[in-house]
Amino acid sequence: MPEARTDLPQGTLDLLILKVLALGPLHGYAIAQRLQQISKDVVQVQQGSLYPALHRLENKGLLAADWKISDTGREAKFYRLTAKGKTHLGSEQESWRRLTEAVSLILASDGEPS
Amino acid sequence: MTWLGRLLRGRRLEHELDRELADHVERQVADYLAAGMSEAEARRRARLEFGGLEGVKEECRDARGTRLVSDLLQDLRYGLRVLRKSPGFTFVAVASLALGIGANTAIFTLVDSLILRALPVRDAGALVRLKDGSWTNPIWEAIRERAPQLVERAAACSNTRFDLASGGEAQLAEALYASGEFFDVVGVPAMLGRTFTRDDDRRGGGGAGPVAVLSYAFWQRRYGGAASAIGSALTLNGVPVTVVGVTPPGFFGPTVGRSFDVAVPISAVERLEPSDRSRLDSRSWWWLDVIARLRPGQTVEEATQALRAAQPQIREATLPENWRAKDLEQYLREQPLTLVPASNGFSEVRGDYERPLLTVMGVVALVLLIACANLASLLLARANARRQELGARLALGASRQRLARQLLAECLLLALPGAALGLLLAQWGSRLLLRQITSQQGIVSLDVSLHWRVLLFTVAVTLGTALLFGVAPALRATGFSPQDAIRQQGRTLAGEGPGALGGPLVVVQVALSLVLVFAAGLFLRSFSGLATRDLGLDDDALLLVNLDAQRSGKALDRGALFERVAREARTAPGVAAAAVSVIAPVSGMGWNNRFQVQGGPVHADREASAWMNAVTPGWFATYRTALVAGRDFDARDAEGAPRVLIVNQEFVRKFVGAGATLGRVVEQEGEPGKPRPPLEIVGVVKDAVYRSPRDPAEPTVYVPMAQLPDADIWPFASLAVRSHAGSPAGLSRSLAAVIARVDPKLSLTFRLLSDQVGAAMMRERIVAMLSGFFGFLALFLAGLGLYGVTSHAVNRRRTEIGVRIALGADAGGVVRLVLGRASWLIAIGVVAGAVISLLLSRFVEALLYGLPPRDPSTLAGSVAVLVGVGLLAAGLPARRASRIDPAQVLREG
Repeated sequence: MPEARTDLPQGTLDLLILKVLALGPLHGYAIAQRLQQISKDVVQVQQGSLYPALHRLENKGLLAADWKISDTGREAKFYRLTAKGKTHLGSEQESWRRLTEAVSLILASDGEPS
Repeated sequence: MTWLGRLLRGRRLEHELDRELADHVERQVADYLAAGMSEAEARRRARLEFGGLEGVKEECRDARGTRLVSDLLQDLRYGLRVLRKSPGFTFVAVASLALGIGANTAIFTLVDSLILRALPVRDAGALVRLKDGSWTNPIWEAIRERAPQLVERAAACSNTRFDLASGGEAQLAEALYASGEFFDVVGVPAMLGRTFTRDDDRRGGGGAGPVAVLSYAFWQRRYGGAASAIGSALTLNGVPVTVVGVTPPGFFGPTVGRSFDVAVPISAVERLEPSDRSRLDSRSWWWLDVIARLRPGQTVEEATQALRAAQPQIREATLPENWRAKDLEQYLREQPLTLVPASNGFSEVRGDYERPLLTVMGVVALVLLIACANLASLLLARANARRQELGARLALGASRQRLARQLLAECLLLALPGAALGLLLAQWGSRLLLRQITSQQGIVSLDVSLHWRVLLFTVAVTLGTALLFGVAPALRATGFSPQDAIRQQGRTLAGEGPGALGGPLVVVQVALSLVLVFAAGLFLRSFSGLATRDLGLDDDALLLVNLDAQRSGKALDRGALFERVAREARTAPGVAAAAVSVIAPVSGMGWNNRFQVQGGPVHADREASAWMNAVTPGWFATYRTALVAGRDFDARDAEGAPRVLIVNQEFVRKFVGAGATLGRVVEQEGEPGKPRPPLEIVGVVKDAVYRSPRDPAEPTVYVPMAQLPDADIWPFASLAVRSHAGSPAGLSRSLAAVIARVDPKLSLTFRLLSDQVGAAMMRERIVAMLSGFFGFLALFLAGLGLYGVTSHAVNRRRTEIGVRIALGADAGGVVRLVLGRASWLIAIGVVAGAVISLLLSRFVEALLYGLPPRDPSTLAGSVAVLVGVGLLAAGLPARRASRIDPAQVLREG
């Protein structure tokens, strides 16, 4: 099953986590599942590496976390986006869009000087 | 959560991290189970997909950003455990560091407050003083007149003491004569009332009579800090003066080592200390220090040039009256006036103690170096002993930096308590030293409270030390591969292997210790030579009473007054002998004149000078100075009788030459136009100390007090009293009563001659005491180091030695084997130390008395002591080595 994985470019994991959490609070396992589902299994992070990223974002104040009872009845650490995280997501999304547009423009060109 | 919160709540975070990650895996397993996988397979897959659990945890810990500090805390906790397990090592290490750092800080505190620290005044950097000694008031007035053209402002001052009591035993206050602008020049404003103004320079002490400015401490002590002190009257030497102001608490006066109680204008000197000739007008009474404040941007050199340009005019305006033409020729001509920076004030104490202090500073720096070398070798030995442990930790994945950091943390754990203890020791030590150099006559008050410079210095020394002895073992500890470390198990069959660094460290210790022991030997011998020197008088149990007759009036016949005091003192109960002289031995006072014995050798100018004293009959018996020939003074030698004198043996040797001494006529030099009558020698006494026990025997003449013209007798004299039995100190009360009957206005201070002599040798005593103490300490540390290195070597070579013994080596052979290397270390160290000692010895020359700085017998003695201690320190482990049981060693192997 773990075939055809795409390695994530540096820093994109943070952006994806913020985006996923923009829809509502989730615990770590759910975030991993959601990333996989939404990307149709293309994006598949080594699950362990999700946590250092989550902790980093939490310590930067972009995420906040609380321990809550989950649907399975077990307590889990739920992450949610802070106000600061929301602004950060906005600006990151914008710069990502500009970057990808630029990259696809370059890739679309035939490579000859016009 | 904040950074600090994350640091403090590390344990909770760890727990949450565990729960969070476990929760993730559990959920994954649950999903796989739901998908129909077997339990075992589900768990395997879940863990596989998650990745290395510990690695993830580490990364999460990194994300907290508290890594550096929490690791450090962990290192410290671990270090503490390790050190607790070897209390002996910890004690020696911390103690030697504390001693090294404490001694350094103590001495540096004194160096700082005596030499380095600037006066607590506004812009102390712009203060300059007129170099070399004191100046007359006419010279000061000539400078003051020209000051506006030379510098921004100039001022003059002089230290003195006033008696606050109105007679009997004196109650002395440290005092300062200051010119009108003095406080403006040093930049100290009045905290209360006012300081002096130019108006206070008017003769008599200002327009409305003499005034005084108090120091903060004196104001607190005497007036309890009451504002009503301003305007009140204070009696100084029996003269009422009006208090006009108080200086701020930080200012102790311009003289470092002396804090003033009360300042009065220079113009009041003749009221407070009346003298037969005017001190303000005298052109040959040198008593004032001159200071100045530079103009903004003006350099010391520019100011000096300006002053030198004015020097001829100043000279012309202040030519002394009654000087010989030859002396007048040289007056203010040979020495150009020079200004020098005075930001750190001036000090008599500094001149006396600067060199001893710097020497001791060098000594304690060496002690610290030895302590560090000692620690380095101790830590090295430990690092070797711990190779197995460190190897295991390397194998388990600890990085080299991490291990090195761990070792450094242990060093810090030794260095910080060492430094803290050292600081305590320093506080105590510098106070003790200060008490030592303070004598009754010279109260030395220095601010030895902790100062940022001292603090900085200690911290630098501590950190330097930690690095010095922390880095070497740490570097070596990480320099071997884990397999080797574990495999070796700390045992080798033969050879030195690692640990070779221990040898050079021991050599350094031995060499430095020899330098210290040699220095201690020089200072101790120098002091004992001084202390056991024949003073020519018996300083034991002799009480000196300084008589101050300034308030007894000018017209009085002082000679007769002092004679009467001596006579009355002899009647006091318990007094065996009493006599008065104008000069007390070793008091720092001196009086001299030029002499020529008729028919004796003719000496050039300066060589013709001899010390003088005027004494009452019985003076030599009181001091127990032996009369060698002739007679003592007696009632015959009254005013108007033939003029006589008694000389000492050195005077006979130098001035009398061939022929009989008794009956020879001595000519003494008088002032121009005022010749003095010739004197006849009636007695010869043994050479006795005059000014300092350091001085060689000098020609001295004694004249009877009764025959001294009144103009030659100062209002000061010294009564010497010897008691029938026991300490004469108890006589002071009955003496005071007897003297009060003669003249109640006489002001008295009591002092034992032995204290006065002791104070004169204070410098030598302190240097000898300190260098002796530190020399011993160095010897001890070096012995400890050698012992450590040798026993370490014996432990490493146990197998080899066991095999040798099994093959038939006898005990002597084993001892020789072990001592062989130690002897080499000692020999190299001793040679290096001797060379360093000889190179450094010229720096201490000025502090030695009667001993060449390269004294071969002292050096030989030091070498012998060091070799002895070294062989003893190495001999103990060698003996242990010779008793190794080969059977046991072979069983272990």
